[in-house]
Amino acid sequence: MMRALLWIFAGALLGGVIHILMILGLPSFASQDTWSRVMALDALDKAVVLPAPKPGEPNPLRLDPDLAYAVCRIDLSSGPGVVSGTLPDAFWSLAVFNRAGAVIYSTTNRDGIGQNLDMGIFNPAQTRLLAQQKLDITEGLLIVESPQNDVFAVVRLAPPHPAMKARYEEALADLECGNIKE
Amino acid sequence: MRFLSHLLVMFAVALTVGFGLSWFALSDGRLFGAYRVGPWAAWPAAGAPAPDPYTRAHIARSGALQLGQSEGLEFTATTDSDGRPLDRACTYRLEGSTPLASFWTLVALADDGSNIARPDGELSLHSARLARNDDGLATIYVGRTLRPMNWLEITGSGPFQLVLTLYDTAAFGGVGSGDDTLPAIAREACR
Repeated sequence: MMRALLWIFAGALLGGVIHILMILGLPSFASQDTWSRVMALDALDKAVVLPAPKPGEPNPLRLDPDLAYAVCRIDLSSGPGVVSGTLPDAFWSLAVFNRAGAVIYSTTNRDGIGQNLDMGIFNPAQTRLLAQQKLDITEGLLIVESPQNDVFAVVRLAPPHPAMKARYEEALADLECGNIKE
Repeated sequence: MRFLSHLLVMFAVALTVGFGLSWFALSDGRLFGAYRVGPWAAWPAAGAPAPDPYTRAHIARSGALQLGQSEGLEFTATTDSDGRPLDRACTYRLEGSTPLASFWTLVALADDGSNIARPDGELSLHSARLARNDDGLATIYVGRTLRPMNWLEITGSGPFQLVLTLYDTAAFGGVGSGDDTLPAIAREACR
């Protein structure tokens, strides 16, 4: 009896090890993660407006049907990234994701204050150049430092009424996105 | 022979504990990482730059565009306030205050994440477009049968989940007014 309990205890310990390995290993084994879904959107250096989720159809990115979304992928190895444009007078928010699907930076326009979005994304080497004033940037640029080169930005825009959504999506599609040109 | 049976039992226990515990921890985060208010659960670290291992596994498993920490917080409920699983055959009444936020939305989803609202109706309830009671709170009904006040009409049968997304909220960040409550979900008639 004692021996059987010991075996079961050993099994529980081994189960704990399996659990820890699974939790730590899951991010590297996941094939349907956020990054692969964004890669499939073909959004490199341009703002892509995501189609609104339809009832009864799968919604893998878990989008909110009330909001309009734009996604844009930037490769910082070919230069600092920029996301800029003028958005309608409504709530919008901005998130910068890394390859692992974690949000490295996010902000909002605080319920409709401020319509101009002007953000620069810099990797550590470019941030150093920025500190040495070897990069020319416009004044008032929101500076975001990213440890990695693979990033994507998501802009959420909340139309006050569903009828305005189409016009708001046009504004999102007009966002400038990509590497800062020399 | 005895040794072999013991070994088999050990592996069975190991696999059950290992995979069961992982599934349990990640399904709604009741072990680690999640913030729970009544029937509602959220992953507060999902929008953080360096999430903890459980939240990281949850992010990889869901593959969603989650909200950043300063954008808002998403709460999911799979049961009512009494702990019974949400069933589309029943009508549910949501009552109570929501934390301070620019606005919030409420959607009903099937287990695979698809929206189960009536296709030609509103897909969600928006906090700016609600009929409010005299005390400023809103009573929300979710179900297949017609209800007064605010009614989110759903279709189909089987289990479902409610997702309440607070945008631009200071709630649960430790700097709010402390009045961080979410609506209670009460089950009404089922048919």
